[in-house]
Amino acid sequence: MTESVVTTRGLGKTIGKKTILRNISVDVDAGSVVGIIGKNGAGKTTLLEILLGFSPASNGSAQLFGHDSFTLPAATKGRIGFVPQQDELVSLLTCRQQLALIAALHRHWNHALIERLLAAWEVPMDSLIQTLSGGERQKLSTLLALGHEPELLVLDEPVASLDPISRRQFLSEVIEISADHVRTVLFSSHIISDLERVADQIWIVRNGELAWAGPLDALKEAVVRLNISARRLLPSSLPLGNAISQQISGQRASAVVSHWNEEQLADLRRALDAEIEVEPLSLEDIFLEFHA
Amino acid sequence: MANTLALRIFTLQPSSGVPIYLQLIQQVRRMVASGQLTPGTELPSVREVATEYTVNPTTISKAYSLLENEGLLQRNRGKPMTIAAGRHGAGSLPQRLKQIESQVDALVLAARQLELKSTDLCQFIAKKMEKNRD
Repeated sequence: MTESVVTTRGLGKTIGKKTILRNISVDVDAGSVVGIIGKNGAGKTTLLEILLGFSPASNGSAQLFGHDSFTLPAATKGRIGFVPQQDELVSLLTCRQQLALIAALHRHWNHALIERLLAAWEVPMDSLIQTLSGGERQKLSTLLALGHEPELLVLDEPVASLDPISRRQFLSEVIEISADHVRTVLFSSHIISDLERVADQIWIVRNGELAWAGPLDALKEAVVRLNISARRLLPSSLPLGNAISQQISGQRASAVVSHWNEEQLADLRRALDAEIEVEPLSLEDIFLEFHA
Repeated sequence: MANTLALRIFTLQPSSGVPIYLQLIQQVRRMVASGQLTPGTELPSVREVATEYTVNPTTISKAYSLLENEGLLQRNRGKPMTIAAGRHGAGSLPQRLKQIESQVDALVLAARQLELKSTDLCQFIAKKMEKNRD
């Protein structure tokens, strides 16, 4: 039985009168790569902060490795690596010095790994941090979280400043990390095409709730666009239980549905006396439909 | 007689609406049916494919397992997975037709929109198949 790395039940967060998160219940198994998407302000960063114990929940519970997030024992903290959205690099140190500083805090540090990535990612090891570009800062910030080979790696928009080559290198590393199904990654990003490569689970955070929390494959199979061409005039509203959106014009219609399965197709064809093309949607299109 | 494939034999599109595991399954089915993949051919490992295409290995592993359940792939302890024996050349007629069913559905839809007659369309297809014969 795989240990649940992250568990939340009815998690909520309110600041003053504003409810930022509402009723979040999830489980993350070891070895998963969870891609987290949502509009700015939807609550992604707040959720990560609560999971990591930087901020207490207002209601419900959050646990990492079986321990309450807000009171994690030191040993458990050592199993986690975090790349925040705003880096916490010290301007007057060189990259090497910053790495040495963090390495000293951990009992285990994979120096060979860091040397290899410093070279591959072209991080100028002896330059002062204040001279680094945005992309170089982001790369260094990521390395600081990788050196101790944490069992849980949490990344809050870690590649926003990286060019496509650097992003691809980073994704390769995430795949390498997750390949043994032992280490777990939570990865919040706006670059949806990246998540389509590396994630096997997706969380869509919308207005403080999870509009989807489950496998990426199941999401792509459940949310599809139906392109309908009927032999007679269509009704003003289609007989679809799970339509997210629909556009009807005479004998033609287009509808995006959730909870789709192939068995519904035959009945729908007969009910509307129509040809129906089932169009699968990219994750980006699905995200847009969830916010239409 | 085993032979190893060039690594880049598949075309995987992570941003497609079709999940990656399903893309892989469909491609292997087609390549086996056409004889492009012969029995005994070794497939690259899950990890090799995941690394080469920069995709999550879970999706590749899922594809390989489902293909094994279908009888198309064979697991060989300690060695690469291979195309299963007994799968020579084409599958049965209904099986082969099923594989192009979604393209045919799209073609029929387009033809209807253009108000083409079924006889005209079939003649057109017959002409194309005659022309593209090797």
